[in-house]
This record gives sequence, structure tokens and C-alpha cells, in this order.
Amino acid sequence: MAPTLELYTRKIGHPEWEEPFVVNMGPQHPSTHGVLRLYLELDGETVVRCDPRIGYLHRGLEKLSENMTYTQAMVLTDRLDYISSAANNTGYCLAVEKLLGLEVPRRARLLRTIVCEMARISSHLLWLATHALDIGAMTVFLYCFRDREWLLDIYEKICGARLTVSYPRIGGVRLDFTSEIIDELYQFTEEFPTRITDYETLIDVNRIWLRRTKGIAVVPPEKALNMGLTGPSLRGSGVPYDVRKFRPYDAYDEVEFEVPVGKNGDTYDRYRVRMEEMRQANRIIRQCLDKLAQTEGEPVVAEGAPDLLMPEKKKAPRAVPHPKKGFMVKGEEVPVVPEGEVYVSIEAPKGELGYYIVSDGSGKPWRVRVRAPSFVHISAIPEMVKGHMVADIIAVIGTLDVVLGECDR
Amino acid sequence: MNPIRTIFLTEIGKGLWLTLRKMFSRPVTVQYPEERKPVAPGFRGRHALVRDPETGRERCIGCLRCAKVCPSRCIYIETERDPETKRMVVKRYEVEVLRCVFCGYCEEVCPVNAIVLTEFYEYVGYRREDLYFDKERLLANWDEFLTTQKRPYFNPYWKPRGVPEKMLPAPKRKAEGV
Repeated sequence: MAPTLELYTRKIGHPEWEEPFVVNMGPQHPSTHGVLRLYLELDGETVVRCDPRIGYLHRGLEKLSENMTYTQAMVLTDRLDYISSAANNTGYCLAVEKLLGLEVPRRARLLRTIVCEMARISSHLLWLATHALDIGAMTVFLYCFRDREWLLDIYEKICGARLTVSYPRIGGVRLDFTSEIIDELYQFTEEFPTRITDYETLIDVNRIWLRRTKGIAVVPPEKALNMGLTGPSLRGSGVPYDVRKFRPYDAYDEVEFEVPVGKNGDTYDRYRVRMEEMRQANRIIRQCLDKLAQTEGEPVVAEGAPDLLMPEKKKAPRAVPHPKKGFMVKGEEVPVVPEGEVYVSIEAPKGELGYYIVSDGSGKPWRVRVRAPSFVHISAIPEMVKGHMVADIIAVIGTLDVVLGECDR
Repeated sequence: MNPIRTIFLTEIGKGLWLTLRKMFSRPVTVQYPEERKPVAPGFRGRHALVRDPETGRERCIGCLRCAKVCPSRCIYIETERDPETKRMVVKRYEVEVLRCVFCGYCEEVCPVNAIVLTEFYEYVGYRREDLYFDKERLLANWDEFLTTQKRPYFNPYWKPRGVPEKMLPAPKRKAEGV
């Protein structure tokens, strides 16, 4: 039911107490991780009804990409989940590569896997920092940001940008790693497990942390599946679903890693799952770095990968640059991306991120639809906070790890 | 929970011991305006047009590829034919920086390595016009960048690492640093 004007203007202390007490949480609330607005109906301090209102960060990225070529639209995917942009890029590139039928070279697949796992660590570090800060642990926040800074510095060395990396490209990656980057990543993977132990020392058995997380927002496995939760939020409930294991993409079939699952499905279990995932991500990076040495000197772009200047169908220069005549060969009319539709999903740090792309062969996507985990997770908030206190809403938003840039798109 | 742990606050003591130890380690904070972190080579910062040291003019040949590949469409180029030498010269080259997303596609696609995103990142303006670079401003950006640059400069997108040579246009294959 839509809120009426009456509800907003109701006088507090009115003799008739049947009307619920309404609080608008957000969009400027610092703990809503962006611009999420929750319309809350309270009974005392207990939540009776919660209604998320989204759309404050809507930029129309899906529609915008319909007027861009496929390579240009990849830049937009940086802005979906701006904390783990490399994973978004990879998902989009995988979808377009599937349309094109491109085989990505092994070295590029390894590099992408490294960058994706770095994105996972950096996303989980930010999640831990803000989640702990919301609940009241300031020190963890500072330590996490210190380590995330290191990862962002490595990103800067890899591709020249810290957040909006645009590192993968359709058919591979844009730049190879230098030996300094590989050395620094080795150093990082060496040191990072001790850092995780530090965070665990601070909050793992801390009684305040346990009180605020144990038994909060319990989601049984069936309910988690029904609500469409994915990623660590689902695995916290004990469902071992991970796209990296079920439909391996990039180099995930070459590496060994475990999928951590929780038992009780409460906030604490989801915290444990994410902490363990950071360790596994660290392990994956390590293995990929070892494998990189085998592919030294190999190209990082597929043979028939389209040029950045993806032409439109009408005046198409040949998709592959001509070896002798250079770039702009005016050739026959070739559709660069053939007609068809494709759905590809990857395991982004937040959950299952899917791209559904419809191509009409014109060189621009006819439709790009993003299955954003944050959107689904926000729709699960009302179910999860029912009967909890107002302060626990903060814990629920934190534990689902929502990013509004991805939700509103 | 273990009653001894509960009474003696062991877990809180452990946490405090960790923070106490960190007090004596070296701080990682960078006091920004006084000290700066080194910028990684290849950082995508302020735009510049490379000045050719031989001719003193811009390297750009006005092929419009950067304008075409730009996702935010922030590059405007106008070319004209020089009546004396009968060569195409760039009349206008303007970058609307406030719209740029710093993806680096322009420098990657440029066949003569004319446009670069330099490692200079401290530029602000009070008006919109301050961040609307025309050709002279872009060339001046390059000169300013070269004077402040300490190490030899080679943009990674001038000759992308790992990309096979046959996929690159000829000037990119023999690109050299500055």
C-alpha cells in the first residue's frame, strides 16, 4: 500500500495508537551504504513493516549502453558495482565473447582471474570495514582500508586507474602485467593471511560483535533460495552454490579452492563465510601467479578480437585490423557481433551477476539487462528485518552487502 | 562462552594488545599536501596532446578515431587542409574534461600516440571553462607534464604490453618513450 499524506503528517501522541509509527531511514543515512531509503513502520523499536525505496542512483546505464558500441558499453559496467569493477567488466566481456564465439588466450584468462579475485578481496574488505563500523568497531575499519589501499595501488600499477579500472577487453585484457606487479602481488598474497588473522583477533570472538550478529536475520536455506539470495549471503545459509564451481569461467577450472558455507544462516555466519572467501581468493591469486610463469610472453588478446573501434554494420571496416593496410580497411558489410541473445553469469563479490545481451547484428547491443545481486538482496531486506530492532536493520543491510550503484543502475 | 574468558575479558584484551602493538609500528598514513604518494607509471590523469619535438606542433593527424571511440563523447575535433603544404592539420582539438571517464580508450586507439592521459592529477577549476581544454591548453599540459616529470615517460598504451605486434598500427610498433 502506498503511504498516504496522512501517515507522514500524523501527530505523535495521537490518542488512537492503531496507526503505525513511520520512520524514513535514508536516503542520507550513512549506514545505508549509499542512497537506499527504507520506509519503516515501527511498533516501539520493533520493525513491523519495511519497504525499501530505490532509484536514487538511477543513471539509466542499461538504456545508455543501447546507444554505444560493445566496447564503449564496457566502460559503463565499471559504474555498476563500483567497488569491484573488474569483476563487472569481466562478466560483460564474457557475455560478448560468447556472442562472438571468441576463445580467450590462457594468459588473459589467468590475468582476469587474478583481477577478479583482487576485486573480491577489495570488495570484502570494504564490506568488513563498513559493516564493522556500522555495528561499532572503528579499528577494523581503519585496518581494512589500509589493506584495501594496497590493492588499489596494485590496480593503479596494472591499468592506471584505481576504481573504475576498465581492465579487461572483449577478447582478453588490455595490458599485460609487468614483473614488478607480479612481485608485488606475491608479496601481497604472502602477507594478506596475517592481516585477516588480525581482523579476526579484533572481532571474531568479541562479545559486542557476537551480540550484534549472532541470531540476527536468520535465513533458512529454503527461504534463502526462495528469496533469490546468491553469493556469500546464500552460502551463509549453508547452500554451497558458487558459479565459479558450477559453471567455471576464465581460469577457475584450473585452480583449486573451497567454497565455504555457514550453518545457521545468521549474520555471524555470513561474516565467517566472507572472511574465509578472502582467504580462498588469496589462494586463487597465488595459484594463478604460479601459472602465469608458464605462459610468459604469450599474447593477452585473442586472435580475432574486435578492435576498440567496433564499427557499425553499415560502413564496417573489417573487424580484424588488416595486417598490411593498417586499421581502416573499408571492406564488405560484416556484422561485428552476430545476431543472437546470450546470458552469462559470474560470481561477483556480492553474488551472482548476470548479463543478458540481445544483439541484432548492428554493432550496438539491442538490449543489455543486468541481473544485479544487490537488487535481489534489497528485495530480501523486508523479510529479514521483520520483528527485529531498528538497530539491527543496519546489521542486515551490512550483511547483505548491497551497493546501490548496482541496484539502481 | 567459557566463564573464565567472560570474566577476564580475554578477547577484548587480545584485541587491545593488537592495537597497542600497532601503535609502535610505522604509520602508513600519508600527510597529503605535504607528502605525496608516487604515481604509478601509466596512471590515467590529465589529458595532453603530445608535442612533436621536431616540428614543435602536435603529433595529431586528425583521424577522429579518439572522438569516435570515446564512450562519453567528450572530444571535439575539426580538421582543415593547409593551403600551402596541402596536408591535413588539426584546427580544433577540444576535450571536455568534466565529461571524461578516464577509460584510456583514446590513447589506446590513437595510431600516432598523440593524445595521452598524463600522470598529473592535481587540476581543479572554479569555472567550467577551466576544465575545457582546447588545443593550446592540451599542448601546454604536455609541456608542463614534461617539466615536472622526473623519470623517462612511456605510456603503456603507446605500445600495449602483451598485444601482438601485427594487431598494432606501424607507428605504435616502434613507439619510444620520452
